[in-house]
Amino acid sequence: MKSMAKIVSWLSLVVLTVPVVLFMMGRTDLDTVKIVMNICTVVWFATASMWMWNPDTGKA
Amino acid sequence: MSTEQPAQEAHAGSEFEREPVPTRALLGFKDFVGMYAGEHTAGTELMIGPLFVAAGVSAFDVVVGLLAGNALAVLSWVFMCAPIATRARLTLYYQLEKICGRNLVTLYNLANGVMFCFLAGAMVTVSATAVGVWIKFPMPGLNDLLPNSVGWVVAVLILGGMISIVAAYGYQTVAKIGNIASPWMVLVFIIFGLVGLRQFIDVTGYKVSNLSDLWALANTHIWKGGNPLPGQVKFTFWHVMFFAWFCNMAMHVGMSDLSVLRFARKSWMAIAAGTGMYLGHFLAWLAASILYAYQLHLNPADTDVLPGPLAYRAAGWTGLICVIVAGWTTANPTIYRAGLAFQAIVPKVSRYKVTIVTGLIATIAGAFPLIAMKLLNFVALYGLILMPMGAVIFVDFWLLKKFGCKSYYAEASGKSFNWAAGLAWLVTLSVCTILVQMGPLTKWLAGKGILSDPTRQWLVDHCSVQIFFASLPGWFIAAALYIVISKIYQKNVRPNLG
Repeated sequence: MKSMAKIVSWLSLVVLTVPVVLFMMGRTDLDTVKIVMNICTVVWFATASMWMWNPDTGKA
Repeated sequence: MSTEQPAQEAHAGSEFEREPVPTRALLGFKDFVGMYAGEHTAGTELMIGPLFVAAGVSAFDVVVGLLAGNALAVLSWVFMCAPIATRARLTLYYQLEKICGRNLVTLYNLANGVMFCFLAGAMVTVSATAVGVWIKFPMPGLNDLLPNSVGWVVAVLILGGMISIVAAYGYQTVAKIGNIASPWMVLVFIIFGLVGLRQFIDVTGYKVSNLSDLWALANTHIWKGGNPLPGQVKFTFWHVMFFAWFCNMAMHVGMSDLSVLRFARKSWMAIAAGTGMYLGHFLAWLAASILYAYQLHLNPADTDVLPGPLAYRAAGWTGLICVIVAGWTTANPTIYRAGLAFQAIVPKVSRYKVTIVTGLIATIAGAFPLIAMKLLNFVALYGLILMPMGAVIFVDFWLLKKFGCKSYYAEASGKSFNWAAGLAWLVTLSVCTILVQMGPLTKWLAGKGILSDPTRQWLVDHCSVQIFFASLPGWFIAAALYIVISKIYQKNVRPNLG
């Protein structure tokens, strides 16, 4: 489960950048870029939390 | 700029606070790469980049200045801080206590805590600009020093209050969110720049097919140079370079990162700071400055530096979340650590109460846009105030014995206040303040008839130093003072020396 979440989360970061590259090349519009970025952001936080939420991290 | 400064005992709960780090606890290069990359991509980067544009930088000045300044910052970590950290393997606090004595360290803590408070205030300000996109209320302009609307004050109070309460309970949860957000946040910062670039290409009709075209676009439309915006200081190559070098001065030359790098197996591992410098203090600053330049290109009268609206225009809700997360996750540990610094002064008051009061001060500071809008000056001041103690540690470790004096003098003599270190700090700050304030000071003296006009003019022309440059001579002044005063002081006050 953790390794699957890891793959999905890293993939979400890759997908996050793809529309921006397309936008840079003039192949898509900014509104589409924003929608894809929003989705990827949700996916990243949801899946990364599953393997990055280390109970020992950030101890005060 | 980094916000997760591991201030001395602010590393509460960390191990080996009063002993050298043992070999079994040492960390590898990769541990430092991730830590530095995350720490230096903070909410305040979104203020600093635009302020460069407001200061009228040219493309060459900002790009080459940042490359050079960040390289000098990394070298300062590698050659000044890390060699001491990996030899002594002590926290900054413990090392300072051995040199300065407990009372002087308490004074240092107070200065550190106050600066942390204001820095956290600037981060609350940054986050509140994102709230202003959702709930429309007038937000502060570039030259506003005071809060300009009730909505702004309420937004800052609510946000600052929430951050303070979370900090008071310990910031574990927010630190975890910060760790998770870090890779995503670095990408979003880069995306800001790419989107801004494309918007510039579209609006100017520039054909960019190679790097030379891109450089021409940067020169003519993004970082055009020329006069700064009204109320801003003109930034040249030297300003940018010194700013990039000294904005984390407290950590490298000021030695705060002794607490971090004492865990490094080898001193060269401090080169990992380069990830933070070139992601946060190069790419992120440039990206944020592109967004602001685009805003000015569309409407030259719209000079407001508001990270929330800037990010929203480029990346929508993702941009807004980035601003809030970047501000929140860095304001939180800053308030927590400021609280710990203050608690060292009043140890009988609970950490919870101290952190709440600290957060309240930071929140009130955040309501005043003065600090965020003058962030370049504030950051320079922050480094300047803590820098002399770094010089004291450097001299104490490498040079003092060569001058016939004793290192770790407070520990050896049982003194709680080493006047040699205290005077080196305070006199250096006084000299630097006089150099920076030469204009107003001589004007006042001339008004009282103490100085003639030609003398005043000569002093302003030859002795006035901008705050961005004062730390460099300041370091040498502090180092020289510490050696000279130690020679005198240790000769007269050595009751318990064996």
